[in-house]
Parts: sequence; C-alpha cells; structure tokens
Amino acid sequence: MLKLGVFELTDCGGCALNILFLYEKLFDIIKFYEIKEFHMASSFKEHDHLDVAIITGTVSCQRDLELLKRVRNNSNYVIALGTCATHGDVQGSVEGSIREKLEKVYGSRANPMKALDSKPIVEYVAVDYALPGCPYDKDEVYQVLMDIAKGVEPPKKDYPVCIECKLNEYECVLIKRGIPCLGPITLGGCNAICVKSKVGCIGCRGPLPKEANPASEFEILKELGYDEEYIRKKFKTFARGELRW
Amino acid sequence: MIILRYVKLPSENFEEFFNSLKQWGEINAPVKQGNIYSFKKVDSLKEVSLDYTRTMLPPKKFFVKPRDELLKLKEGKWEESNGTKPVVLFGVHSCDIHGLQILDKVYLDEPVDIYYKKRRENSIIIGISCMPDEYCFCKSLGTDFAMTGFDLFLHELPDGYLVRVGSVKGHEIVWANEGVFEPISEEDLKYFREFEEKRANSFKRSLNKEGLADMLDLAFESPVWKKYEKICLGCGNCNMVCPTCRCYEVCDLWVNAYEGVRVRRYDSCFMESHGLVAGGHNFRPTRLDRFRHRYYCKSYFDPSAGFNCVGCGRCDEFCPAKIEHVKVLDEVREALK
Repeated sequence: MLKLGVFELTDCGGCALNILFLYEKLFDIIKFYEIKEFHMASSFKEHDHLDVAIITGTVSCQRDLELLKRVRNNSNYVIALGTCATHGDVQGSVEGSIREKLEKVYGSRANPMKALDSKPIVEYVAVDYALPGCPYDKDEVYQVLMDIAKGVEPPKKDYPVCIECKLNEYECVLIKRGIPCLGPITLGGCNAICVKSKVGCIGCRGPLPKEANPASEFEILKELGYDEEYIRKKFKTFARGELRW
Repeated sequence: MIILRYVKLPSENFEEFFNSLKQWGEINAPVKQGNIYSFKKVDSLKEVSLDYTRTMLPPKKFFVKPRDELLKLKEGKWEESNGTKPVVLFGVHSCDIHGLQILDKVYLDEPVDIYYKKRRENSIIIGISCMPDEYCFCKSLGTDFAMTGFDLFLHELPDGYLVRVGSVKGHEIVWANEGVFEPISEEDLKYFREFEEKRANSFKRSLNKEGLADMLDLAFESPVWKKYEKICLGCGNCNMVCPTCRCYEVCDLWVNAYEGVRVRRYDSCFMESHGLVAGGHNFRPTRLDRFRHRYYCKSYFDPSAGFNCVGCGRCDEFCPAKIEHVKVLDEVREALK
C-alpha cells in the first residue's frame, strides 16, 4: 500500500472536492493507496512519511508555506494539482503587493494573518508532476494516481486544447464564429469541454509549456476586433504574467 | 484492372439508389454541423449536404480513428477490442480519395496496419464531383480527378448523375440495382466534359510544383521559415485536419483497478515531443524546425512517391493564424531568387 495525502493551501476547495467526485472510482484508488490525510474527506489525520502527496491551491500565507515545506520534505512524489498550484490562477493574477491590497481593503498595512503575495507552489518547491486545470478533469488525476500505483511514470501532456477539440470534431469557435478562444496557446487535457458548448477557451489550464505563441494569438484576437486591454486581461486571468512576449 | 463502365443515375431514382446502399453498410455522408461539415452516419438523403466544400476531418477518420481503442487489458491479458462493420462513405471528393490512396501506401505496405486494413476492406467509397472554393488547389497537384480508389463516382448532370464504376464492388452495386440506372447519352457526356472544363477554370489557387524538391533542398535556411515561425501558433490544427497526416500517439489508460485500454490518437508534428527520442535528444526542438518540417514532409521527402498533399485546402481553412500553404511555398521560392 502506498501512503497518500491530499493537502489544501489557499483555494476554492474545488480541486480537492473534484477528487471525491471520482465516486466509485475512488475504490480503485484505495486498493493501492492508504489515505493519511484528506481534510475534505475525513477528519482522520496521521502525520507520516508519504509516498504521494497531492497539493492544491496557492501559497497565500505563512501557514500555506510551512505546510507546503513540511509536505515536500516528507513525501516522495508531489503532485501540484489545479491551476492555483501550477500557475497561480485568479488569486495570483491580482496585481500589486500584499501590503497595498491590505491597505486598500482594510485601510491598514498591518498583516496579522501573515498573508503573502499569492504564488503557485511550483515557485517554492520542486514538484514531480504538475496537473493544471480550473478545475482539472477528474479522470486525469485518476490516471496519474493509477499510473504511479502501477509503477509507471505518468506521461506529461504537451499538446494544446485545439488537438482534443479536433479529435472531437467540434466546430472551431475562433475561426468559424469569431469567439475569442485561447485554445491554440492553452495546454490541453480538458477534452475541449468549453468549445463543446460553443464557448471559447478561457485558458484555465495555463499556457502550453515552452511552446505558446501569445504574440500571434494576440494579433489574431486584435484582428477579430477585441481591444488590447481585453486581450491582455484574458491572457492574465489564470496564468499571471506568464503569457509575455 | 477494372473495366470502366459509365451509367446514368436519373434524379428521380437517386433516393432509391441511396437507400439501396444501406444493404452494403452503414451510410456515412457529409452533414452540415454549425459552420462546418462532418462525415456522419445518415439514415436519409435529406440529411446529406451534397454541395459541401470540405469536411473538417477528412474521411481518413473511418480508417484511422481520431481516438482508436486497439486493445483491452483484461485479467492480465491483452485482447483485441476492434470489431469492424461495413461502411459506405457517400459523397467523397476526389482530393480525399487521393488522400486515402496516399494513406494506403503508408498503412498497407509492410508492416501492414491490421486495423486500417480491416476497415479499408470493409468500406465502399462513393465519390462525388465538386466545385472548388477559394482554398482548393487540387488541380495543380493532379488530384482533382480520381481514376482509382473508389467504387462508384457520381458526376453531376442537370437531370441526375453520370456514374463511373471503379471497382468490382462498384460493378456489383450497379448489377444489384440495374433498374435504377440508364445508359448514358451523348448529351450526358457533353455535359460531363463541359462541367469538368468549367471546374478546371474555377480554381483560384495553384501550387507551383516545378522543381519543388530541389527548391526546398536549397531553402533550408530561408528567412521565410523564420518569418512564419513567429506567426504559427504551433497548435497542430493543420495536422489534425490533413487527409495525409499519418502520425499517431499510443497511450494506455486505466478503466478500473485492474483493467485498461490501449488507445491511439492522431498526433501532430507541431508538438514538442514529436521529435523527442530516447536519451532526451529532440530532432526538432524549436517551432521553426517543426514548422519547416511540415512543409518538407508534405512536399519533399519522397518525390518519387508523389506529394503528401492533395490540395484539399483544409490546413488553410482551419489555421487560426490564416497561414496559407501555397503562399508559404511561393514565398520560399521567391526568397531564393
């Protein structure tokens, strides 16, 4: 049996909940894993050395950072799960330093909760596997956990949303409807679920690692008549300043 | 060698003929879906868009499926998971018939791809004539007319179709439905020739094939590739919709704790891992390498075997960055002067 822990830093909780949404498939996972901590599933908690740790959320306060370091130091294989953990997501995209934000909201620069600028966990520690998505497709985490249980290094995806969109034969909303779609520069794995509903990709899985060409996407959207400010905001929503050129 | 036979299918018998095809297999034909066309299973003629330009995915999807489950892992053993049922592809354009013949060379030559072979043998291809739109350049590649690779080919006439029979199965279909066909008249042939002439004059794009292989040989360092590297998104849409792209990726997926499936899906040479080999070396580490590679693959690698491009225009129509295949090659040629 492998020892598994699921840890939440600062996030909406959806990524941890999504694991529970595996429903009957959870029984496949507990055939190979002993769950040592999973706050959303049980109050049972046993601090132990872990084989696999799943971490969701951004590092947004001192407590997050300490928890993250403890988990990393006590786990063999760390999975950063969800776009908060891998790219910073919406919280990471808010501009300005934490002191400025505190002053704006509370009228004081005092920081009793020891809040930090929200950053993805990958900025603090090395992770063994990064699975983005806001939220990720629950089957992806299932495949990753099953692969690890069977001793297989889970493959890393390297293709944009467009690939799965085409495999499913969805009508291209960018070309055929002029809807702003970040599919060409966003990492796939979601099975193009937004385009299925004729909604443009909002880039929730973060940019295609190393390969994204935001400059060209920017020009395409501009030509469709969207203004620069709008496009820049769209690029930034999930990926902070990563889509830079 | 197939002895050619020409018959006429009058309009009033068209539906009867269409329905008779159901006994040969599941009919799949171009259907309009939003702003694209797709080959889909159809039950009646009224669902079919015979005047379609091009489907987004080419008919290759029936032989190499976008996602194709090959094997099942059950109780520690791998089992074949493919059943094949007969299909009738109704309304295939000439370029796509040529595309399938290019794929045949890849998948049916040794080592034979058993999945492709089984499906290909279980299919009937019925071609249909078309008029080019602004993206088509098949004429310049000689793929605008199919001499082989189909069972029946329907050419539009004012009062029906002139039908060319292209295979033994095609003859069998005509024999089984003799009642719906008529002999062709001189007038039908005249119209057929006129139609082909009008079509030949309707092309707006053409690819200059002359010395293309030599030209590309000299143009490896062309600044044109560098220009397009900045425009290209590297999204792989051109590969996904190409009737001659044949690369696939194989992945194993878990179904439950002890059972899995082995699935292959279309792959794209625009993905970073496409040129990655054991040991970490990557033959095409940058987008520039990959962009250029696609043009070499489509027009150059084995000129004796013909081009790996049939001029269907899909890559142009579905490129978000509006990169045009012919224009890129023309610019590369121009830059050499």
